[in-house]
Amino acid sequence: MIEFAQVSKQYSRDVFALRDITLSVPKGELLFLAGPSGAGKSTLLKMIAAIERPSGGSLSVNGQNINTIKPSGLPYLRRNLGLIFQQQRLLQDRSILANVMLPLVVTGAARSDAEKRARAALDKVDLLDKSSAEPQELSGGEQQRVAIARAIVNRPQIILADEPTANLDRDNANKVLAALKSFHGVGVTCLISTHDEQYLTGADRIVYLDRGRIVDGWHNGISNPVEISR
Amino acid sequence: MNWLRQHFFALADAFSHLLRSPSNFILNVLVVSIALALPFAGLTILQNVRPISEQLAVEPEISIFLKMELSRDKALALTTNIRTILQDSASTTRIEFTPREKAFDSLKSKTGLTDVLATLGANPLPDSYVLKMSGFEHAMDADQVDDIAQKLKSMPGVDTVQIDSAWVKRLAALLRILRLVLLFLGFTLGAVVVAVVFNTIRLQVMTQHQEIEVSRLLGATNAFIHRPFYYTGALLGLCAGALALSLVVLAQQPLNTAIADFARLYASEFRLAPPSLLATAFLLGVSALLGLFGAMLSVKRHLARLA
Repeated sequence: MIEFAQVSKQYSRDVFALRDITLSVPKGELLFLAGPSGAGKSTLLKMIAAIERPSGGSLSVNGQNINTIKPSGLPYLRRNLGLIFQQQRLLQDRSILANVMLPLVVTGAARSDAEKRARAALDKVDLLDKSSAEPQELSGGEQQRVAIARAIVNRPQIILADEPTANLDRDNANKVLAALKSFHGVGVTCLISTHDEQYLTGADRIVYLDRGRIVDGWHNGISNPVEISR
Repeated sequence: MNWLRQHFFALADAFSHLLRSPSNFILNVLVVSIALALPFAGLTILQNVRPISEQLAVEPEISIFLKMELSRDKALALTTNIRTILQDSASTTRIEFTPREKAFDSLKSKTGLTDVLATLGANPLPDSYVLKMSGFEHAMDADQVDDIAQKLKSMPGVDTVQIDSAWVKRLAALLRILRLVLLFLGFTLGAVVVAVVFNTIRLQVMTQHQEIEVSRLLGATNAFIHRPFYYTGALLGLCAGALALSLVVLAQQPLNTAIADFARLYASEFRLAPPSLLATAFLLGVSALLGLFGAMLSVKRHLARLA
């Protein structure tokens, strides 16, 4: 489903965000990307969504080569992805419902259908009663759950969550992670990045990054960076 | 169906953004409408004056006064020469020979100057021809009439040639200048409209950059993102066009009062008519297209930067 083959990302001559990343993520896996800030977790996730392009190596997502994908192909790639950002990036001048409907609206879905599905997504994250509220009326944890609802509303094959628990208290962070894990439970591939090791539970696999390289991993109790990353 | 839905959404989105800051939109409409009102007014005046100039120039007349000493036979023989000169022109011309006696009688009977003319003793009028020309489509053909007059004047035995369409020619020239001025004004103010819309859309793109970025990440195509801006530009142009036309029609009322007083001096009932339905639709279409063009330029430039 996601194949990194010796992928590098270089911003300038001496600045590498990623170096020689080789990683294969099969369908339905729950993978945590762990590591300190600046390790390259966000860059790796951005590359999957083609927000960043590899400087070297090759990357394919759902069979599409990210190195060569044309700008006109990006929207169709992203419609199969659910993106969750550290800053939720909710539109402040729209209601929660309108925010969650947005991924459906951009694909041209009928308004009634979009509204129905958005309400169902909000129900899954226990925020249906806040559908008419505006983002600034919600707490950070609630806003992150709205972002999750927005990410899953068009039933993506892959969810990419970049530090979804950052800036949240433990209780809210656990709620957010529980919501994400529930989608993994129905076969969605989830890649979640975090720098906080206390949340690395229930994963199929954990990949540790440091200074742009995979340095360690955990898979069913085996700690071996080479095995884990392939 | 999906395509139609996307357009409907874009239109609704454009409206919702306009409603969020109506004062900005109204001010922009006002600026654009003032820019449009001037060429619209000029065009309306031109449309009103053009039929008059066409009508006036339909049948110009040329009067040929022959030399007093020319004999009647020679005077009549000139008919052939006149026909030869006229056969090159596209017009059909009626040639009327007026003997000096007939002209004198006519003068006496029409002017009531019988007593004055009696004191002259001899008939001072020469034999003459009157050429009534038809087939000229508009005042622009007055140049051709001039050419014919020149040729007629060079005939032996001709004393004077008078064209009664000289002032029509001046009017035609004036209209030609007016049309050119209007064209220049139209292009200049059209550019102003495009510039205003361009800047309006630039500001909107800047205001909505977060929404644009999020939409892109959620799978929105460029067409989806661009469309509301196109509709905003076209709406701005359309509303400004409608306001400009309303201003022109409103201004016509007091102007027509003054024109009526002036026209009455010439026994005319001339009034400025408002633009026809077709002209209105055309001008509104042009306004919307100018707005759309400005929006397209702005979107192309500013959204490409965001991408």
